Amino acid sequence: MNWIAVGLKQDLPLGVVIPSRIEDTELAIWRSASGEVRAWSDRCPHRGMRLSHGFVRGNALSCIYHGWQYSENGSCAYIPAHPKLTPPDTICVPTYDCAETDGVIWAALQKPLGAPPAVSSRRPVRSMPVARSARAIAAYFNAPQSTFLEIGSDFDVALALQPCTAAHCVVHALAARGADRKAVSRWLEALRSDLEESAP
Amino acid sequence: MILYDYVLSASCYKIRLMAAVLGKPLSLRAVNFHPAREHKSAEMLALNPKGTLPVLQDDDLVLTDSADMLRYLTADRREWRSPQDDQWLAFASGLNDSLGLARLHDILGYEADIDAARASGVTALRELEAHLTDQRFDGVGFLTGATPTIADIACFPNTALAPDGGVVLDAYPSLRLWMRAIRSLPGFIEMPGIHRLHELAHPA
Amino acid sequence: MTAATDNHWYPVAMVSGIDAPRETWLLGKKITLGRDNGACWVRDAAGNPLTVTERFGHLWTSPGQPNRALFTIPEADTPGRRLVDVGSVRVKCSPLRAVENFLDIAHFPFVHTDILGAEPHTEVDRYDVRIAEDVDEVWATKVKFFQPQAAKSASGGITTEYMYRVPAPTCAVLYKTCPPRPGEWDIITLFVQPLTEEWCEVWPWMALYDDASTMAEMVSFQQLIFMQDRSILENQIPRKLPLDPGMEVPTQADMTSVAYRRWLKKIGYTYGAQLVAA
Repeated sequence: MNWIAVGLKQDLPLGVVIPSRIEDTELAIWRSASGEVRAWSDRCPHRGMRLSHGFVRGNALSCIYHGWQYSENGSCAYIPAHPKLTPPDTICVPTYDCAETDGVIWAALQKPLGAPPAVSSRRPVRSMPVARSARAIAAYFNAPQSTFLEIGSDFDVALALQPCTAAHCVVHALAARGADRKAVSRWLEALRSDLEESAP
Repeated sequence: MILYDYVLSASCYKIRLMAAVLGKPLSLRAVNFHPAREHKSAEMLALNPKGTLPVLQDDDLVLTDSADMLRYLTADRREWRSPQDDQWLAFASGLNDSLGLARLHDILGYEADIDAARASGVTALRELEAHLTDQRFDGVGFLTGATPTIADIACFPNTALAPDGGVVLDAYPSLRLWMRAIRSLPGFIEMPGIHRLHELAHPA
Repeated sequence: MTAATDNHWYPVAMVSGIDAPRETWLLGKKITLGRDNGACWVRDAAGNPLTVTERFGHLWTSPGQPNRALFTIPEADTPGRRLVDVGSVRVKCSPLRAVENFLDIAHFPFVHTDILGAEPHTEVDRYDVRIAEDVDEVWATKVKFFQPQAAKSASGGITTEYMYRVPAPTCAVLYKTCPPRPGEWDIITLFVQPLTEEWCEVWPWMALYDDASTMAEMVSFQQLIFMQDRSILENQIPRKLPLDPGMEVPTQADMTSVAYRRWLKKIGYTYGAQLVAA
């Protein structure tokens, strides 16, 4: 199973939770006060509420619905409706492997093989939703099986593809360190237009 | 100052939020927009012949356009103004016609070409995201610079409420950070669909 | 669709809001409703008239043969109450999820912050829940919770007492301590129209003792509260309400929800329910 890019470090400050997904698996990606990044199932076991709507206090993630608080290993540590109760170990959120390298946040739904792709000397520019599948974009660049595309171009762009649905993905773009990020951004927007217009 | 207000209106919230972060008190008059359509009542039409909300009344002055209200509220607060505000106030009006309409369709069952409303909403969100990403490259976090202006207050409500109209905000990181910065402003108030930052609370 | 679903009464409109005929949905099928010479009517997609009744400010219908009359709320008829047509809000969730959320108090401090609840007052004490066999309704009583602003007419925090009642699968009635009138109960209802299994129109209605607020203020208070719930309801996974244990984790604070789900199963009401854990 591959590492899949699910966000960029620059977009996830301390104490923030964001929604993400890999295909049908919805994820809550969050960074604790001490800086650790976690990738969890985006569903509170209590009533099924999306945890990505929740909030981070210290090194715990809380659900917005009833404030159930989960510690960094995914187990429920506190239920506000029953402050004196020690929640049973059985209440826990499924967690996934998560890594942060070179400014990119990666997650793997199954045990990952090896390290995340090397981004070489590039640095992250921005993440962008595209109304095409990751597979279609990979095929557009003649690399149908890949989720990490080294495009080249004037900016030495690389695209880490995050497969979402049959019609959508998120592209996490990196470029040469010296590249003007605004110019890369315009280049990416033009690429997105091409990709979306080339949809069947 | 009296604000004729509807609790679920993004445009009314704009004015409530602006006044709150400025620390200016508003006297709110609830108008039964839904279901009673009181904004079209004789009394409200006498005040605002357009029959729209919000309406801001300050003694003899009656304002019926939310952009005018933002300018009026900040007339003595130049730090909340920028030369670029006008273009963003126009942009905010576009958000109301796309995302705002989608929201009224999904919540209250308004007639709308919902696919078209959502599509133009997505186009606008992409534009906003691109601009805010550029701003971040320049090291600033708001639409016109390092501090918020009426441009940010005008664009915030319909953007943050986009999910109410079936438009997801999941993959717009710069929008998310910008909305978070607005929610962190001293004096920030919430509305249904835009909650406060609970992480800032300090429970006993 | 089964008799267990069809033979119930459902709200489809506010009586005061019916003018020109209009279409809506009920249980996944189109219906049309309108008013002729003062009498409200509902027709199915084939044009056949459906049974109707007008009560609590709303028009009710049933696609089947209701085996009993629409439930009553006798307390709502006591003089001095103001009857509040709150209007409707559409929500992309199971009608059963909307009802269950209405029966829940533990979310108040987090979803209705500083209005119906506030940290650190989050504890839910044990309360009584039963399925009243004689009337076949779910009842929760002696529910108490600290509220910073219990109603439009309330100022300051108080411990409020509630009784919850589920008289029909998609309807819930809340009896709530009434700040201006000790000993009386305000009545707040949630009438849910199942448009489909994952989409509903919610018609809150209230009968309140409140001489201080304008009608618009009472309406906006309740719309504010329900719209805060809407952003939760549209983000629960799955959209349908799981009736089988195992998929969600109830605690003692969720006894009303547990009884509601059990009762739905007992009466065979599965429209909007998820029966097998995914």
